[in-house]
Amino acid sequence: MDPFERQRLADGRAGARREALAQAVTDRAVELVMSAVDVNALLDRVDLNALLDQIDINQLLDRIDISRLLDRMDLDDLLRHIDFDALIEQTDLGAIIAATSSGAASDALDVVRSQAVGLDEFIARWIARLRRRPYPGPPGPPGGRPAKAGS
Amino acid sequence: MTARAGDAAPPGPPAVIRESLQGKYAGFASRFTAFAVDIGISLGVFILALAAVSFAATVLTGTGITWHKGDLWVIITYAAWAFTYFAYSWAASGRTAGMALFGVRVVRDDGTAASGRRAVVRTLALPLSFLFLGLGFTGILLGDRRRALHDVIAGTAVIYSWDARAARLRFLTRS
Repeated sequence: MDPFERQRLADGRAGARREALAQAVTDRAVELVMSAVDVNALLDRVDLNALLDQIDINQLLDRIDISRLLDRMDLDDLLRHIDFDALIEQTDLGAIIAATSSGAASDALDVVRSQAVGLDEFIARWIARLRRRPYPGPPGPPGGRPAKAGS
Repeated sequence: MTARAGDAAPPGPPAVIRESLQGKYAGFASRFTAFAVDIGISLGVFILALAAVSFAATVLTGTGITWHKGDLWVIITYAAWAFTYFAYSWAASGRTAGMALFGVRVVRDDGTAASGRRAVVRTLALPLSFLFLGLGFTGILLGDRRRALHDVIAGTAVIYSWDARAARLRFLTRS
């Protein structure tokens, strides 16, 4: 073997050993320091209010491009993952909706319309069954383009 | 707010309504019941009008007017009134009173508001759907766009115009 090649291999092995030793020493030193320092006492000495006073929230918000942030978020996908039924059962959102909704006449209308829609679906499902076709739900305009509907 | 086990379920939106139906083509039951309500309203108003005329004639001349449903002019007058009721309602807002009750409305086949001309054509073509035992209505049951014969002739469609999802949320808050 070339003597220079042998020397390079020996240097490489020695370097790896030195690196491993340095790593072990560093880990041990950090461990000793962390065990010696009382982190809670350290945090008690930090005045968070003073720290927050030094931060200009308005300036921070000015630097955030909200539009770009929203563009990068898929809100439709996010909303699809939300179980609104469970949300209403667990929060006061239902009470808010109920408070902002109109009265008994509106409720009666909801019931009448809902029953009619339920009957629509029942008939449509049976027609599809008789025609041996799948029924994916109420049909809409082609391409998902919603027809303009008022209240 | 949470329903307790064993409680009877209150009447409300069926479980099928988990999305807003706004803009979807309306089904047979909603359309038929809305039409039945409209016939009832138009007939009720017409009978009240005849009674008012008869009362006025009695007061002014002392002689009442007797109406017979088979009289030709009574039929013609009712037909004219029904035409006005449906055509004006569809032209003005896209819906009659019955359709407003059931949350459906008439639009052009491209989804925009129906014009006065289409409303008139739709009203004139409506009797055609009743021919041959109502064969013209089968398009609502079998067609992809749920259009009856008079819809095809007038270039219109009937869609749901109420937010079923909001109704379901309101229902869940009460149950």
